[in-house]
Amino acid sequence: MAAVAAIYDQLKFLNTEVLAISTDSVYSHKIFTEVSPSASKVTFPLLSDRTHKISKAYRVLNEKTGATFRATIIIDPEGTIVTKFVNPLEVGRNVYEILRVIQGIQYSRRTGEGVPANWVPGQPGIIRDPKYIGRI
Amino acid sequence: MEFKRPDDILENCVLPFCAQTTDFAPLFVTEAYDNVEKKIKEVRLESYRGKWVILFFYASDFTFV
Repeated sequence: MAAVAAIYDQLKFLNTEVLAISTDSVYSHKIFTEVSPSASKVTFPLLSDRTHKISKAYRVLNEKTGATFRATIIIDPEGTIVTKFVNPLEVGRNVYEILRVIQGIQYSRRTGEGVPANWVPGQPGIIRDPKYIGRI
Repeated sequence: MEFKRPDDILENCVLPFCAQTTDFAPLFVTEAYDNVEKKIKEVRLESYRGKWVILFFYASDFTFV
């Protein structure tokens, strides 16, 4: 959880809020923040989906375990899902990719440009113009 | 529903709601623990309109994300 906390300030700067959710109770969340050095740094809310309703609605519930998959869903300011990542059970997320995707979507919406593979902030996007078709 | 041939699958397959890219984000209200205010509070997704939101699903407290 410290990995997300580490980029939280940058996300706030991008008008982005983090809602962390698991199927644990809020009581478990409270103790988690008290005893885990990484969770103690968290300043975003830890949501409880004890009824599994939210994780079912977002299709990220692991029915075998009653826990959620390692899913990351980004929602735009109008309430539309813009992307959904589901990581393997065994491998934790790359939070810098989440940050890059938010920066990329915002850049694309601001400029109208396409955002190519491996783009990072500071690089140009791709201008959408028929004259460039087949030339990039 | 019983599938016999690949054709059956293609003809009968109706796309379910998958909460995928371009779908609306299902609204919810739930309890949360706020580590800044040190209290339990209610969180409504709808109140975040106007902001980008990352729903960060993790399997369990006390595990890596």
